Amino acid sequence: MSRIVVLPQVVLEQVRTDLRAAAWFAALGEPLTDDDRADADAYAKALGLGTLLLGLAREWPEAERVLQAPDWSPTWWDHEEERRRWLLAAAEVRYPERALWTSLTQLTTEIGDVVHGKAGIAAARMGGAAKASIHVAAGAAAQAAYQLALARLAEDAASPFESKFRLFAAGRWPLGVLGSTLILF
Amino acid sequence: MSDPIVVKTVEDLQDAPEEYREAIAKLVISHAINELYGAQVFDEPAIAYAPTPYAKWLTCRVAMEEYGHHVRFKQLGIQMGIPEERMMPGAGKRPLSIFEFPLKTWEEFVAIKLLADLAEILQVEDLLHCTFHPLRNLARATMPEERFHAQFGEDFTAELIKTKEGKATLQAAINEYFPYLPSFFGGSKSRNNEIFRKWNIKQRTNDEMRQDFMKRATEVASKYGLTLPEVRRAA
Repeated sequence: MSRIVVLPQVVLEQVRTDLRAAAWFAALGEPLTDDDRADADAYAKALGLGTLLLGLAREWPEAERVLQAPDWSPTWWDHEEERRRWLLAAAEVRYPERALWTSLTQLTTEIGDVVHGKAGIAAARMGGAAKASIHVAAGAAAQAAYQLALARLAEDAASPFESKFRLFAAGRWPLGVLGSTLILF
Repeated sequence: MSDPIVVKTVEDLQDAPEEYREAIAKLVISHAINELYGAQVFDEPAIAYAPTPYAKWLTCRVAMEEYGHHVRFKQLGIQMGIPEERMMPGAGKRPLSIFEFPLKTWEEFVAIKLLADLAEILQVEDLLHCTFHPLRNLARATMPEERFHAQFGEDFTAELIKTKEGKATLQAAINEYFPYLPSFFGGSKSRNNEIFRKWNIKQRTNDEMRQDFMKRATEVASKYGLTLPEVRRAA
C-alpha cells in the first residue's frame, strides 16, 4: 500500500540551491574537459544508450543546425520521456498530486526566467544566435531543471537527469544524439 | 457614470467598491484558469508532436511561459484573498469550448499559436491600461511572451507552407479550430463587460474586440496564403 506524505521541502530547497549555483551556458563552445566527458558518458549510459561518441558544437549556428537536423535520433528523447513518466508516476505515489504539480510548476517558472537571461547573455557574448534560439536554450535548461527536481523527489540517485544537470551546471548544453554521437555545445 | 478610480496596490483594493473588487476577481480567476487549460491541453502535449529538438525545446519554453502566466495570475489572486481552488480547472466554471478538443497534430498546434494566441494578445492588450495597477502590470509583463507565442505560430506557419501537403494540413487545422475563437470574446450584451468598462478595468466592448480579432486574424492568415472559415456566431 502506498503512503502519501507531504512534499520534502528540504529536497526542493536543495534543488533550488543547485539550480541557482549552476553556470548555465557559461562554457558553450569551449573545449571539452574530462569532467564533461565523464558526465556525458554517465548520461548516455544511464539513459540506456550505451557508449556514444562525443561531439562538440563550437558556435550557435552550428548548434542550431544540430538541433534542426532532419536525421536526429529520437531514441534519446524517447528514453528521456519514458524515464520522466516513470519518475512522475513514482513521485505521484509518494506525494499529493496537487502539491507535487504546484511545486514543480512554481520551480520551473522561477528557473525559466533565470535560464532565459543566462542564455541571452551567452548568445550576446558569442554572437550569431537566432533570436528564437535563446528561447530554445531556455526551454532545454528549464526542462533539465524540472527533470532534476523530479528525479530528486522520486529519490532516483542514478538518474540520467543528475548527469544531464551536471553538464548544464558546468556551463554546457547537451544538444542530443545524431547517429551514434552525443553532441555537446 | 462612476467617478474614475485607480487602485495602485492589492492592499488598496479592500477600499474599492464591491462591484469593482468582484469584477477584478472574475478577471483574475478567468485568466488563471484559461492559461492553465491552454498549457495543459495544447502546449505541453505539443512537445511530443514537435518535429525536431529545436521545435521541441521552443515548445517547452512556450509551455513553461503559459504555465508561468497561470502561476502569476494565481499568485495575484491569492494576494487578493481568492481561494486557490477557484483558480484551478474544475472549480465549477466550464472551460472555453476550444479546450474540449485535445491536440492531435503539430499542425493543429501551429494553427492554435497563430490564431488563438492572437486572441489572447487582444485580451491582454485590453488590460494594459487597467485601473487596478497590479493587474495592469501583470498584463504588461505577460504581453512580450504572448507576442512571442504568436510569432512562434507565424514562424512555424512559414515553415509548414513551404510544402503543398504542409499547407493543406495547416489549413485543415485552421478550419477545425478557428470557429471556436470568436466566442473567446464573450457575448455582445455581456453584463460583465459593461462593468469592466464602467470601471475602466477594460477598454473595449466584446464586439469591438471580436471585430478587431477577425481583422487581424484575416490579415495574418492571408499573409501566408491561408483562409479563415466562415463563422456563424450567436450573440
